[in-house]
Amino acid sequence: MSATDPPFERAGDAYRVGRSRDWVSTSGGRGYVLATGHGEGGPASKRVIVGYGFWIFLLSDIVMFSAFFAAHAVLQTATAGGPSGRELFNWWSIVAQTALLLVSSFTCGLSAVATEARNQLWTQVALLVTGLFGLAFLVLEGRDFAAMVMQGAGPDRSAFLSSLFAVVGLHGLHVSAGLLWLGTMMAQVFVKGFRPDILRRLVCFNLFWHALDIIWVALFTVVYLIGLGR
Amino acid sequence: MSHETETRDPSDLGPGFMDAGEMTVREGIARYVIGFVLASLLTAASFYVLTTSLIWGPGIPVALIVLAIAQMGVHLVFFLHITTAPDNTNNVLALAFGVLTVALVIGGSLWIMDHLNERMMPMHQMMQMQR
Amino acid sequence: MFGKLTWDAIPWSQPIPLVAGSVVVLIVLAVLAWVVLKGYLPYLWHEWITSVDHKRIGVMYTLLGALMLLRGFIDAIMMRSQQAVAFRAAGYLPPEHYDQIFSAHGTIMIFFAAMPIVIGLMNFAVPLQLGVRDVAFPTLNSTSFWLTATGALLVNISLVIGEFARTGWLVYPPLSELPYSPGVGVDYYLWALLISGVGTLMTGINFVTTILKIRAPGMSYLRMTIFCWTALAANLLIVAAFPILTATLGMLALDRYLGFHFFTNDAGGNMMMFINLIWTWGHPEVYILVLPAFGIFSEVISTFSGKPLFNYRSMVAATMFICIVSYMVWLHHFFTMGAGPSVNAFFGISTSIIAVGTGVKIYNWLFTMYGGRIRFTTPMLWSMGFLVTFTIGGMTGVLLAVPPADFMLHNSLFLVAHFHNVIIAGVLFAGFAGITYWFPKAFGFKLDEGWGKGAFWLSLTGFYVVFMPLYVAGLLGMTRRLQSYEVAAWRPWVLIAGVGIVIMMAAAACQVIQVVVSIRRRDELRDETGDPWDGRSLEWATASPPPPFNFAVLPNVEGAEPYWGIKRRAIETQQLSAEPRYAPIEMPRNSPTGFITAFFSTITGFALIWHIWWMVALGIVAAYGVFVWFAWHDAVEYSIPAEEVARYDRERRRAREQWLAQHAEQPA
Repeated sequence: MSATDPPFERAGDAYRVGRSRDWVSTSGGRGYVLATGHGEGGPASKRVIVGYGFWIFLLSDIVMFSAFFAAHAVLQTATAGGPSGRELFNWWSIVAQTALLLVSSFTCGLSAVATEARNQLWTQVALLVTGLFGLAFLVLEGRDFAAMVMQGAGPDRSAFLSSLFAVVGLHGLHVSAGLLWLGTMMAQVFVKGFRPDILRRLVCFNLFWHALDIIWVALFTVVYLIGLGR
Repeated sequence: MSHETETRDPSDLGPGFMDAGEMTVREGIARYVIGFVLASLLTAASFYVLTTSLIWGPGIPVALIVLAIAQMGVHLVFFLHITTAPDNTNNVLALAFGVLTVALVIGGSLWIMDHLNERMMPMHQMMQMQR
Repeated sequence: MFGKLTWDAIPWSQPIPLVAGSVVVLIVLAVLAWVVLKGYLPYLWHEWITSVDHKRIGVMYTLLGALMLLRGFIDAIMMRSQQAVAFRAAGYLPPEHYDQIFSAHGTIMIFFAAMPIVIGLMNFAVPLQLGVRDVAFPTLNSTSFWLTATGALLVNISLVIGEFARTGWLVYPPLSELPYSPGVGVDYYLWALLISGVGTLMTGINFVTTILKIRAPGMSYLRMTIFCWTALAANLLIVAAFPILTATLGMLALDRYLGFHFFTNDAGGNMMMFINLIWTWGHPEVYILVLPAFGIFSEVISTFSGKPLFNYRSMVAATMFICIVSYMVWLHHFFTMGAGPSVNAFFGISTSIIAVGTGVKIYNWLFTMYGGRIRFTTPMLWSMGFLVTFTIGGMTGVLLAVPPADFMLHNSLFLVAHFHNVIIAGVLFAGFAGITYWFPKAFGFKLDEGWGKGAFWLSLTGFYVVFMPLYVAGLLGMTRRLQSYEVAAWRPWVLIAGVGIVIMMAAAACQVIQVVVSIRRRDELRDETGDPWDGRSLEWATASPPPPFNFAVLPNVEGAEPYWGIKRRAIETQQLSAEPRYAPIEMPRNSPTGFITAFFSTITGFALIWHIWWMVALGIVAAYGVFVWFAWHDAVEYSIPAEEVARYDRERRRAREQWLAQHAEQPA
């Protein structure tokens, strides 16, 4: 590092996009370091590459959800003489599902803290709690769906119900896949410890789980709360 | 790859990373607790808005959407560590691109489908024409 | 036990698919037998099938695309010949069959010919041009390729077992819903695209991450080649658009399999929603195809004009402008669906505006050529053919962008001629230019110039002879997808188009002969130094073909056109730069994950199509098993020792020194 180098050489090129050096102040010293993964800094480290790639994947997943959301928004009134949201939604179940998912997101964050501290026990505990709350979420959602089908308000009754089951069900599928992944991760952390590649995967899982909660926020607002108002 | 040396470059952070070199366990937990509390408050507010007449009726969907966006923001900042720090620029740009796409898909579809539905002949009239 | 699958699924009573299918099956078996008996299977498995090397994956993608291009072209020949003879007559293709042909033609050409060729060229060239060793996620890259191959395989299986969709390449409901398409055709389409769509999305993620996060030291964003910029824009579009395709086809699958009512006639379904969503994907899709094509032309034109690309920054700006605006024009594919004047006007204007970006690019290419020393090699000829032909196609596009005009021309042959005009001149010509341009880099010898030029001139002529009459027929009112017609005024034009397809067949033959002749003559056509075209970008700094690690030492990039600078300095000082210090290089191990995932995806897809539920469950469980097995791997990388790196690189330097000695420049 050189404390005297300028942030980036502007040698005759006023339009340089991205930067080559960052000013950092760490326990290792102060000065300019080559900003890998930005501008001229050269290739980024593997953790950044994996994290960024997963971030892009999450954005693509959100776009997929937005298509289902758009369909639901358009079909929200197409009840074809069948039941509408107001007649169907189980208020307390939705409150419970929201709370369960939010808490599981919180405990997932705690597991990230435990991982940073390299504490195997607390990582596993936090991940287990996350999984259990996620499972409870799925159970409640499954019961709601079963009840609706019993009432004759299944996805084949009307376009509104089709789009409801699809968008909520897609989220549930993602949660299920997340739980399978969580189980695999817990086993991997237990057997292989906090190896760099395991750590990268844990970060990806964290991103995924938090993103699922973000999608749930949109879901319960648009589908349930706004839908209830109709 | 040969650029792979797992030394921590402190200026090089991806999404979801805390700058953990500088953060203690206590600070890390505090961050998540604050986020959790804020998110819970916003969630409760959403449910509250719907059940009381605090907000004028036609304004309720707008209020709910604002609360939802705020909640997503809380998640992004406190849980996903998306900030405006310079090392996060790529992440923020990617997020902005995603948000733009979602807005175009949902907004565009609603606008188009609304117009289509409005201009489509009502069902009963169509049935009459078929007699 | 086997769901809907019975022996009746094979088209015993239809001679054309039966014969075609049998021929294909025989060829496939013969090739497999030859490979196995000659003992090539271990080589193929270790060097190609399980490869995670972007160069190998790029070659496989391009090969898949080229093969499917031939298949789609055969469909085109059948359509043109049917229309040529079916004036007030039945022709030789019954309507049920003709409908499958035009649906298969569109599906194959877009998804399994054009996309793989474009993605293959990006795969091959982008990491080399960025000066790095591989893409961000090599094993994911392999999986992407094999999933795409799965989709192609499923579509081709429909020729022999069952049928294909009869709905056109975008399966509009309600025709594609169960009551009107009860067979397996639409299901083949759905699962082929849902599976390969996942592969393409993964490619998008891979390349966005690579281009934004993995570049050689010193390569700032504005020092990347234009091909890398267009690859970035296209992959951003893949990430933003393909999820919508997955969602929309998923909704249709839900309708067909689980009785949902997204797009059905009854219970409140809204079929216009399908058309809206599918084109929200569909328009960015064509830009995914054409933006890398523009990038290829930028590289080729600049190299063979001997000049740097004119106004690099405006090219970058135009590329990103097109990328963003391509998401705001999609309604122009359904002006006639009835959204009303305000909506139509908005999208008509935005469509006209997006043409400005391409206009900027065309002018930049022209100004690049102006004042340069042009070498009329095959890639350059393809580029010049593109410049003229694409401009015509673009102009007809702007005409169609005017809603009142489109009301007359929607779904006519004018439209068909327009989009073939832009796709053939844009994507196909770029594909051929790119393949010819990068062939020596991939294989170590150039393609034969003579046959290449023949292929070009026949393609160009054939294109005009087929599609210009179709413009006229469209203006005279001929609709698309007609199995037979009665209007005498259209007849001469359809006949001329029939002649044109014969010219294109000759062009295709030239392409195939070109490859065969080039392989035979490869020692004469050998690329000794790795820089056969006097190139300007970093891929030409490597040997041909490059070693697995691409660059012995990652180059330090100091300006735009980094390789050109290195080369000029070497020529002026009459020596190469100093030998670098060689260090061991970590490379990812080959992995069968991609192939095995695709294998189980094929089984699951086939089982879903034929409703063999136990097989579906098995396939999904197996997919999860592969995931866990892959996740459990410990040794994912291997190290290439410094001496081996040095050996490769010293050989390359020796070849370059020889070239320098032979081409010592005289002082001015």
